[in-house]
Amino acid sequence: MKFIKNHLMFILPLMAILLGVEFYVVFDRTTDSYESGLKDGYSMLVVTNKPVELEKLKNLNNHISASKKIERDTILSEISEGVSKNFSKDILESLPYFYNLKLDVYVNTTGLNMIKKDLEADPNIRSVETFGTSYSTSYKLFSFIKLILNIFIGFMAIVSLFLIIKQMEIWRFNHSQRMQIMEIFGAPLMLRSGILFKVAIIDALLATIFTSLIFLYIKVVWASNSGIEMMMKNKDELFKYMDIAMLLFVALCLVIISVTSVVLSSSGVEE
Amino acid sequence: MSNVISASQLTLAYDNGANTILENVTFNIKKGEFVFITGPSGSGKSTLLKALYGQIIAYDGSLIVGGVDLARAKQSKLQELRTHMGIIFQDYKLVNEWSVAKNVVLPLMIAGYSTDVQNTQAQRLLKHVKLSEYADSSPLELSGGEQQRVGVARALAKNPVVILADEPTGNLDDYSSSVIWDLMENACEQLDTTILVVTHKIPSMFSLPYRHFIIENKGIYEVH
Repeated sequence: MKFIKNHLMFILPLMAILLGVEFYVVFDRTTDSYESGLKDGYSMLVVTNKPVELEKLKNLNNHISASKKIERDTILSEISEGVSKNFSKDILESLPYFYNLKLDVYVNTTGLNMIKKDLEADPNIRSVETFGTSYSTSYKLFSFIKLILNIFIGFMAIVSLFLIIKQMEIWRFNHSQRMQIMEIFGAPLMLRSGILFKVAIIDALLATIFTSLIFLYIKVVWASNSGIEMMMKNKDELFKYMDIAMLLFVALCLVIISVTSVVLSSSGVEE
Repeated sequence: MSNVISASQLTLAYDNGANTILENVTFNIKKGEFVFITGPSGSGKSTLLKALYGQIIAYDGSLIVGGVDLARAKQSKLQELRTHMGIIFQDYKLVNEWSVAKNVVLPLMIAGYSTDVQNTQAQRLLKHVKLSEYADSSPLELSGGEQQRVGVARALAKNPVVILADEPTGNLDDYSSSVIWDLMENACEQLDTTILVVTHKIPSMFSLPYRHFIIENKGIYEVH
């Protein structure tokens, strides 16, 4: 019973940190996917006096990735209904050129204003419409939720780290006598700390397996039946098999740091 | 005969020299000698013993044990030297979560001997100290005298060049003490091991020839 308790006291905080890491990674991936969706569905409108090439626009700001000319005839047909043919011709001559511009990355409102400023610096560009408000409203909400979650993950990681340190003190108390005696008789560091490393690595493996199983469950069972469109759409982003390697790496780093601190602080024979 | 322990102008101190324990002491101990070091409490007997197994480094002078200059030896060299020493403590220093047999073969385990060799040696040593029936027991199940016999068996496990003992009978009754002294006399006589014992009092029934040093007023003096 004591043996199981000792292991759980280390595995649970380790799992809390791993869950935090995985939540952060998953949320980051989901955000990327969401940003990519926003970026793909977004375009800004540029009005120019004369026709303009994409290369010229790219020179003005390197985030511009594509431009699509809006045919002036289409615009004319919509605004010249019931107008004489001669007058329509006059309108067409005085009509500026319209372009839809695509961006290569998602940028926030400040970024959009920077692009607008760069474009408007060109005398050929008459005006730029970024549609900034509708573009950023939903993303701001999403970013806010992300910030709150990150704060929670950070808080959870700090609390878990304290729990791990506490458990390390128990380990140090349990193992210091044996390690000091072994040191007196000339045991090298790896031999006298071998048992601790073995136990800690097993705990790291178990914590990784349990955390991976939780995320697999979320991905395979929960996300599919959640009814949340974003979850169902981004189901594959929730857990990737590469994440197991990442979680194991994080867990091993944590246990190696923890055990090394125990081993080093247990060195030296008591006076 | 060659010197197993050689101290020259040795000064031992704590707090970076502020608290001197021994000052400019010189002595030599040869192979196979049995040596008692006595002195009042706090005179520095145990400090000298710690210096001999490299736990405390000489503040000045030199201390050579088994050909290794302890002041200049690297940690790895000190570790290797300790594998050739047997050390016996007043408080036994046994690993309570291990069996008696595993405690006895600790020096062999550190030296990388096979499990078969360890098992054979554990049986032989426990028979020697008359504790064969406790091989699988925890040290906590043994009396103080029995625990110290395990300590002696552990010290003998690897036929050490030198055995250092810090008040080995300090916590024991007369009968248990006499058993421990017998075991140590045997080791010195039969294995030609150098034995250095720090103690308050030399046992009256001790039969082997021995040398006697007294630590007093930061110096060490041999009694002839």
